[in-house]
Amino acid sequence: MSLTTDRPPLQAPPHPEPRRPRASRAAVGILLAYLAITLFGMWWLDIRPAALVEGFEDIAALLQRMVPPTFGEPANLVALALETLWIAIAGTGLATIASVFLGAAASRHFSGPRILGWLARGIIIVTRAIPSLVFALILVRIVGLGPLAGGLAIAFHSVGMIGKMFADVFEEQDPAPREAVAAVGASRAQNFVATTFSRALPSITSIVLYRLDINIRASAVLGLVGAGGIGVALQTAIGSLDYHRALGIILVIVVMLLVLEAVAYIAQRSLAEHAGEHTAAELYGPGPTRATPGWNRSRILRVGSGAAVLVLFVFSLTQLLADAPRLARVWENTVAVLSGFFPPVFSLDIAYGIFESVIMAISATTFGVIIGLVIAVLSTRHLIRFEPLSLALRGLMVLVRGVPDIIYALLFVAALGLGPFAGFLALAISCTALAAKFFTDSLVKVDPAPLRSLEATGANRVQVFVSGVWPQFVPSFIGNSLFTSDLALRESAVLGIVGAGGIGFLLEESVATLHYQTTAGILIGLIAVVVALESVARWARRKVI
Amino acid sequence: MTVPLTQKAPGMADKTPAPNHARTVSVALSDVSMRFGDKTVLKGVDLEVDAGQFVALVGPSGAGKSTLLRLINGSHRSTGGALSVLGVNPATCGRGALQRLRTRVGFVFQQFGLVGRLSAMENVLMGALGSLRMPRYGISSYPRELRERAVANLERVGLVDERYQRCDTLSGGQQQRVAIARTLMQQAELVLADEPVASLDPNASVSVLQTLKKLSAEDGFTVICSLHQVELALAVSDRVVAVREGSFVLDAPTADTTEEQIRAVYAQAERD
Repeated sequence: MSLTTDRPPLQAPPHPEPRRPRASRAAVGILLAYLAITLFGMWWLDIRPAALVEGFEDIAALLQRMVPPTFGEPANLVALALETLWIAIAGTGLATIASVFLGAAASRHFSGPRILGWLARGIIIVTRAIPSLVFALILVRIVGLGPLAGGLAIAFHSVGMIGKMFADVFEEQDPAPREAVAAVGASRAQNFVATTFSRALPSITSIVLYRLDINIRASAVLGLVGAGGIGVALQTAIGSLDYHRALGIILVIVVMLLVLEAVAYIAQRSLAEHAGEHTAAELYGPGPTRATPGWNRSRILRVGSGAAVLVLFVFSLTQLLADAPRLARVWENTVAVLSGFFPPVFSLDIAYGIFESVIMAISATTFGVIIGLVIAVLSTRHLIRFEPLSLALRGLMVLVRGVPDIIYALLFVAALGLGPFAGFLALAISCTALAAKFFTDSLVKVDPAPLRSLEATGANRVQVFVSGVWPQFVPSFIGNSLFTSDLALRESAVLGIVGAGGIGFLLEESVATLHYQTTAGILIGLIAVVVALESVARWARRKVI
Repeated sequence: MTVPLTQKAPGMADKTPAPNHARTVSVALSDVSMRFGDKTVLKGVDLEVDAGQFVALVGPSGAGKSTLLRLINGSHRSTGGALSVLGVNPATCGRGALQRLRTRVGFVFQQFGLVGRLSAMENVLMGALGSLRMPRYGISSYPRELRERAVANLERVGLVDERYQRCDTLSGGQQQRVAIARTLMQQAELVLADEPVASLDPNASVSVLQTLKKLSAEDGFTVICSLHQVELALAVSDRVVAVREGSFVLDAPTADTTEEQIRAVYAQAERD
């Protein structure tokens, strides 16, 4: 018997140690899960420092073979670049129109038949989970090769993304105007247009611009599966081992994406400024009669930009529909493909492919988030205070983000051979660039007052970061990391199309060999995994943020 | 359409002066009650409001004033008793009939219920949506005749010069007057106002209620207006109804009601 047992029980301390809050435990849990999966992934994908070094040597050798770039006939490339733009605009426009209805039906305030609400939510979940490149693979079989398949693929995937965001916007609105207009006896449709849609218009514009930016990036690679745009030329160049031309095309894609990103950024910024300042207190000018509104700068801008968008959208649609005779067989092909889906076939190969995609995505996210965090800290001016480094890193990240993941995958497959290692590297690079951008945006918004107070106490830079910056930054760090992981998962599902591992290879093969039952099995598995991981991420966000 | 009163419902108080011609009743409530789960918000209340009357509904917060107004416009369905609003029972009529009834019943909200980024004119035009078929967006999408009426109604509330201004750049008092002009577009026979001046400063409150009173006198519509400001209630109404804990504890012509009587209702509620 030990001495302690004879002693009277110790009194509880006056201030017991507080229990670790649940949010903190959830954060540690997520972190450990990601690390554990990444360690497993490193073993599974054979990611060793030596392999990485060897890989980079091979990539450098390939890049040497690509220089100098050639552009062939510039007019041809410009035509393909424009086709890419029409695909993105038409797809985004179609998705926006559909999303207004879907978002309205999916929002909590929807007062119509309940089944419509469920249906809308179902469509949003399914289309969000399937990447546009996968839609393109299937649509090429239905509407034939070319930009129409691309435009529709962009539209189908974007419906889920935009519809969800619209539903959130509609839900967040103050119900007072809606109740007031319902009280005058307006119908549901009248009330929706007058109060819900009219109030959501600035947010809708902002969401659509943001999505257009993403869709231009996505449509640049749809040509890899024959769905139109500049990606067709890239696929041909790499397939024929013409690496000089491949580099030329990649440069055209990057420049095009950077220019359009700059245009979208300027448009979004001017929109945000306009919304914040209420610059136009007078929405109309004096008209010819008291009851007829006249024209002023604000109305000309509103109506003019609306008309320009409409003209651009209709023109891009006509470009997609240029090859109308092929459309005659659409119905027949749709029935053939959709009836071919039943009954879906599930197999161990499918499970293995999806598992490999998930492992690639999570491992790449972990690497991307860690390296991205370092880059973000180094490129945040008020943390490092070395302007040239911040500018250089930001510029580099913009360039790196300019290249779509699947193009990295194409290059790595050419340099390192087929397999998930090439896919992992491609994803890790794009995750790094994406995470660095998200983190830099958040770090810039950190309140500098606590930092200055800590510096005044003599704390060093690391101490200032750990005590002054990190606590403010951690919610957005976790939120953005989960979002990066979400995007990586969708991307990893398509990298197999170019042979970079994961389920994409089996998916493409099943469509190419008309084994649609396998395609259906893969799609169902993919949707289930994406929805499950999204639910985990949503739970984690709720707990931690 | 208003209903000629042929017989008095049992238990209904008749405290208004007897007119020398046939009375028409806009609203008739008989033993109306309302429960939300376990909570009884209205306990078998009776009320008859003559056409053209301005009734001030007073009483502490949570007494059941807002619930009463929402029962009258059909936003809530009563759990007991009989209602007649312009000859229709909003608790039992179908969706279409309720929509038609609402085109005849105006509602003025405490929080105005305006779309801030649209012009005053477009918000006023929304009051006519019940008489139109299709959704509308933008002033020019409304028929010319309605646009002219909207301008005339904005003129009546003193805001014709602000008709093309964004609503969220107007003052609180101006916004509430836009909301009243929206109600005028309905050419309503009955206007319900739920604490319409609770968010306004004293001067704006007086101005808004005077406007409502003037328009009611000119157009002959009935007003039932819930208010917390005792002096204002006595200044604008023909009749005062006080509610406490879901029951009517005072129902009298304003001329026979004193400030002390109303304050006593609030004081009693505080003691409870």
